[in-house]
Amino acid sequence: MADTAEKAAGNKRVVMLAGNVERLACIEQYPQAAMVSDDLPLRANLSVLENITVVLQFRTNSYIGEANDVAWDLLKLVDSTDCAQRRDPELSTEERFIAKLLRAVVLTPPIILIDRPALLLPDTHYPFFLNRTLLALAGKFEQCLILDYAWNAPLYSSRA
Amino acid sequence: MTAVQAWLTRRGQGFAQWMHAWGRVFSFTGVAVVGALSPSTYNKATRLVVQKQIYFTAWQILPGFALFSAVFSVLIIEIVGRNASAYGLYAYALELIVRVLVLEMLPLVTALFVALRTGAAINTEVALMQIQNELGALERAGIDPFRLELLPRVVGGTISVLALTAVNIVVALVLARIMIIDLNPWSLPPGEFARVIGKVLELPAIGVLWVKTLAFGLAVTVIPISEGLNTPKKLFYAPIAVLRGMVRLFFALMVIEFLALTALYV
Repeated sequence: MADTAEKAAGNKRVVMLAGNVERLACIEQYPQAAMVSDDLPLRANLSVLENITVVLQFRTNSYIGEANDVAWDLLKLVDSTDCAQRRDPELSTEERFIAKLLRAVVLTPPIILIDRPALLLPDTHYPFFLNRTLLALAGKFEQCLILDYAWNAPLYSSRA
Repeated sequence: MTAVQAWLTRRGQGFAQWMHAWGRVFSFTGVAVVGALSPSTYNKATRLVVQKQIYFTAWQILPGFALFSAVFSVLIIEIVGRNASAYGLYAYALELIVRVLVLEMLPLVTALFVALRTGAAINTEVALMQIQNELGALERAGIDPFRLELLPRVVGGTISVLALTAVNIVVALVLARIMIIDLNPWSLPPGEFARVIGKVLELPAIGVLWVKTLAFGLAVTVIPISEGLNTPKKLFYAPIAVLRGMVRLFFALMVIEFLALTALYV
């Protein structure tokens, strides 16, 4: 990743990429990372709550009630309980991003990869939105890598 | 000559693709049967999906479908009873009804109904999951899509077909007894009902009936899933995948019925 610039702040690191080849290489570098990406959609016929719950229930063989409680607490942390019962096509881009992010953090993974946030949040000033959301989820993951293209770098400056 | 060659090549390719698709269906059936019989497949999440599948496939439609089955049975019993009576063969009416209705028509009608309702839905859903990479997303989240999304549909769908067929058979037998014996008490001697049922539903016939129903149950889930999984990742292929799945499923149901008839009567 010679062309990659990195910006770090706390447990969040923005990886600035020169192009798609670097992006794919970066993803390959973290095969075990929980990923939030436009390429990895939610299950369309499950609600937001179920999309989060099913990961926890399947991976930990927990009861549905327990898994639902954990998912609900996560939704409360990011102030998104009102979209809990809605399905993917009924969600705004922010709500869809939150659902994907919570699906990724529900097992408290060491690394989260957020792939091309501009694609996930096309109508949002996403650096600010990401900061706020990841701050609300502090302690739910060890490190968050945001993969973004270098031409979006000005968006991350404090004045943008 | 070139035109004939091109036509033959096209036919040959079509046949090869057809054979390949059936190969995939049988291969998936094998994997699904092994998976369904393996206890390690199941956990709380997969059991929940199985329960949901049974609820949507069998429980949700049970009252309406039992009513339909009752009306259908009454119609067949009445037709067979009247015609047998007209030809002076009323003593054989019950046996004919049990053979036609219980062994042949009800399992096939149940399988066709579940195929149209649930099979089409499963085919569409799996095709869309494949096209939109939802299965890939589950895999990335550490979930085996086969265990969570596909196998529970096979298990739930098969159990549903078996259960609905059993309910329909009970309804038909009760109606047959009421219409042929209770409403016409002069026509058959006492104890005749049990004797005829025992004669028709002997062990080999029961075996063929349930093996056939099990095969129907597997077909209405495995074929739509297999076809859905093979959908290329382009949205416009979704209707083609459903069409192919449904045609293949109809063909499979007919072949199963044909084989069962051959086993019983030839």
